[in-house]
Amino acid sequence: MSTGNILDFQHVSFAYHADRPILTDLSFTLQRGEFVALIGSNGAGKSTISRLCNGLLKPTLGTVLLDGRDTSKVPVSKLASSCGFLFQNPDRQICENSVYEEIAFSMRAQGWKEEDIAVRVEEELNRFDLKADWYPFERSRGERQRIALAGAIAAEPELLILDEPTTGLDYLECIRIMDYVTYLNREKQITVLMVSHDMELVLAYAKRVLVLCDGNLLGDGETREMMKQESLLKKARVLPPQIPELALRLGEGFEDVYTVDEMAEAVLGGAR
Amino acid sequence: MNLLNYVEGSSFLHRCNPITKLAAAFLYGMACILCGSIVGELILIALMILIAGTAHLAGRAVRLTWRLLVLGLLMFLIQLFFVRTGDPLVVVGGFTLITKDGLVSALLLSLRVVATMLPLMLLFAITEISDLCNALVKSAHIPYRYAFIVTTAFRFVPILATEYHDIEDAQKSRGVDLDTKNIFRKIKLVVPLTVPLLVSSLKKVDSSAISAEMRGFAMRTGASGYKEYPFGMRDAVVFVFLAACIACSVLFLRGGMYLI
Repeated sequence: MSTGNILDFQHVSFAYHADRPILTDLSFTLQRGEFVALIGSNGAGKSTISRLCNGLLKPTLGTVLLDGRDTSKVPVSKLASSCGFLFQNPDRQICENSVYEEIAFSMRAQGWKEEDIAVRVEEELNRFDLKADWYPFERSRGERQRIALAGAIAAEPELLILDEPTTGLDYLECIRIMDYVTYLNREKQITVLMVSHDMELVLAYAKRVLVLCDGNLLGDGETREMMKQESLLKKARVLPPQIPELALRLGEGFEDVYTVDEMAEAVLGGAR
Repeated sequence: MNLLNYVEGSSFLHRCNPITKLAAAFLYGMACILCGSIVGELILIALMILIAGTAHLAGRAVRLTWRLLVLGLLMFLIQLFFVRTGDPLVVVGGFTLITKDGLVSALLLSLRVVATMLPLMLLFAITEISDLCNALVKSAHIPYRYAFIVTTAFRFVPILATEYHDIEDAQKSRGVDLDTKNIFRKIKLVVPLTVPLLVSSLKKVDSSAISAEMRGFAMRTGASGYKEYPFGMRDAVVFVFLAACIACSVLFLRGGMYLI
């Protein structure tokens, strides 16, 4: 596996209309193998950044490099080999009559051989607990999201972008999706960039957080560290997760408390 | 930018009765169909851009014209090679490829398509769909159920356009090359683009119908609306102007298949 940056935003500005900038002079990099969450309120520019990553949008100023390639100069279809994208709504991408064909779709679009496709699809079917002959449109929301994720990572991209991946999913489906994303990140070293409003999810899975507010990067750091920066999160109009917020209010003795288990241990330890 | 969305404003056109605007779009289209000369169609397109300019929509009208020209080009090519009458213009190996009548009628037809569709497209920019629906019920006394069907069809055009754009993005992200020049590959792209659109549209129909029923759709009568839509002097001015347009198209611009 090659090392270094998979994604490099260099002084990127973007505007849909010239008089209303969405992003202003934004710079950050993603190292290969990182799990990064992009947080911020509605309209902060999160989805715009995710679409700039794979070239769906081109920066007004500055450069976005994906795997060393300038996204302004390479067609999105070519960048797809480096970047998988899971949209919030799986129905926008599902277009085939069977789960097998759906997972194979992106590989065929990228010119894979049929024998390699068959092997990869079989792997994904087993991993995601899917059946090859299922009719995708009749499956549940969670199953459709799994089908879409299997399709997004089938062609083995180096960067996976998740745009609100667990919206509308029940707890078990949410855990199932996120555990698999974690597996991809840890075992396959796929870099993950996750856009999310769910701070509990961000705290549980992301290792690094980028905090956005009105198109500016307010904060960039280790997830646990960022979740305790109350004033920064407030400025970004983001509600911190409950346990770190409670730990902050309790003060001394609760400095390193972020999860329910850690809170239980701290409280029971104090009582003893 | 979606070229079919409503743009807020208080111009002369914005303040006209919605029914006047709907009728005006169709009557202007009729003037374009009656007009029989290329210069006449160009004048009508330019006039529509000027009219859009009074509502600060000249830029949108130009962009719409540009996009409609793509459709016009398709019509142009079909007409150019299928009309066999008239003096030969391009002859290849003894076979007449293009005739003078073919060229003139192809130009006329393509410009007519642009000129006819332009006012209908601009109608969305100056009319809120809910106003159009209410005006059809209150002023034209059309049963609400039918007015709702018509206006909902209009309302879904920009929604479907946005949805289609998102589907394009999703498929491009999976490696689909939408910019391919290969005609066979382009035909194959119909499936990944239209199937998700069809599925989401059918789902929207279901949820919209349930939502309408939950809000008492069947109880609605003509008297249910709060706003009134009276006809005024400006509506009369619009109809007089359109009558003049149609008269000009018939009297001065109906030149058959000629340039002027």
